[in-house]
Amino acid sequence: MKKFVFGFVTALAVFWLGTWIYLRLGLAGVRADERAPTWEARWMASAVRASVRRSAPKMQNPMPTTIENLAAGGKLYVNGCAGCHGWLGKPPKPPETLYMPIPELPQVGTQYSDAEVFWIVKHGIRRTGMSAYGPLYSDQQMWDIAAFIENIRNLPPGVIERIQPQK
Amino acid sequence: MRNVELRVEAAGYRFACVPLGTLSGFLEWTGYFVKLYALGFLAALALIVIGGCVYLECGFADVRSDENPPSWESGLMSSAVHASVRRGAPKLQNPFSPTDERLIVGAKLYLNDCVGCHGAPGRPPSDFGATFYPRAPQFPQIGTRYSEAEVFWVAKHGIRMTGMYPQGPYYSDDELWSLAAFITRANNLPSAVLNGIAPQGSH
Repeated sequence: MKKFVFGFVTALAVFWLGTWIYLRLGLAGVRADERAPTWEARWMASAVRASVRRSAPKMQNPMPTTIENLAAGGKLYVNGCAGCHGWLGKPPKPPETLYMPIPELPQVGTQYSDAEVFWIVKHGIRRTGMSAYGPLYSDQQMWDIAAFIENIRNLPPGVIERIQPQK
Repeated sequence: MRNVELRVEAAGYRFACVPLGTLSGFLEWTGYFVKLYALGFLAALALIVIGGCVYLECGFADVRSDENPPSWESGLMSSAVHASVRRGAPKLQNPFSPTDERLIVGAKLYLNDCVGCHGAPGRPPSDFGATFYPRAPQFPQIGTRYSEAEVFWVAKHGIRMTGMYPQGPYYSDDELWSLAAFITRANNLPSAVLNGIAPQGSH
C-alpha cells in the first residue's frame, strides 16, 4: 500500500512540475493567428456551455418579445457586437482571427437560452475576446440584446428596417 | 521446497519468504514493488484526466470574466506568455530609430486601434480594458517589460486565450515596428511626442 501511495504522489508531482516547467520554458504556444485544433475548440466550447448553464439564472426574459424590443436589441447588436460576431445579411467574414472561433451569430444563431445569452453579455467569457458588458449596459438593454440574438436567424418582418440607420 | 509451500499457502506473508539474497528473489521483489508503484502512478494520472473532464464538462470551471483573476493565476499565466513570446519573437532590433517623428507615427496607430482597451496617454485607465479576463495591460500607466521585437510579435500574432487579436492582417510590418517603438515608451514619452499627439484645441 505504501508503494501505491508513493506511485500516486510521484505522478501528481510529475504532473504539476511538468506543467510548471512547460509553461515557464515558454513551450506553450500563444499566438492567436493559428486555429485551435478541433478537439480543443469542441472541448472548451462544451465546458463553457456547461458552466454557463450552471451559472445563468433560470428565468424567462421579463420583457415581451415585441418588434420594438427586437429592434432596440438589434441596434445595440449592430453597434457593439457585429464587429466580431458578424453583420446582418452579409456573408461571413474570412475565418476570424482569434484562436477560438468566434460564433457568427447571424449564420449559426445560438443554442443558449435568453437568460443564458443575457448572462454571457453581462459577465463575459473569460480567456476569450468576450468582455463583460454589465458595466456598460442596463439589464433592460441586455435583455433586448438577448431577445434579438435568440431570434437573429428568424427575425419577424419590420425589425431589420428599424435597425438600419435612417437615410 | 519449504519456501515454495509457504508462498502458495499464505500470500499475506509473501515477502517474508522471498529469499532476497538470490537473484530470482530479488527480481520477484522488485517486480512486486514496480507493479504496485506503477499502479499508484497510473491511478493518479487517471484521476487527473477523469477529474479534469468531470470538472469541465459538469460546468464547475467558472467562466465569467467580470471577476478578478487570482494572483497565482495571473502570475503564472503572464510569465508563461512572456516566456513563450521570448521564444517565438524574432531576435531583431527595431529597424527604425525612435525619433519623435517615428514615435508619433506609432502613437497615431495606437490612438486609432489600441486605446479602446489599453488606455490613452494622459488619461485614466480604460474601463473597457478592465472588462476582459485577463485584464488588458494599461501601457501608458505601467509600460511593458517586453522588448520592441516582442511587442512587434505580439501585435502581429495576438495572444490566444485573451482578447488580444492579431493585427498582422491589418497592418504592415513597418507600421507594427512604429507601434512597438511607441508602446515600449508609452509610460515615458518625450514631451514633444505628447504634444504632437494631443488633440487639437486641448492647450
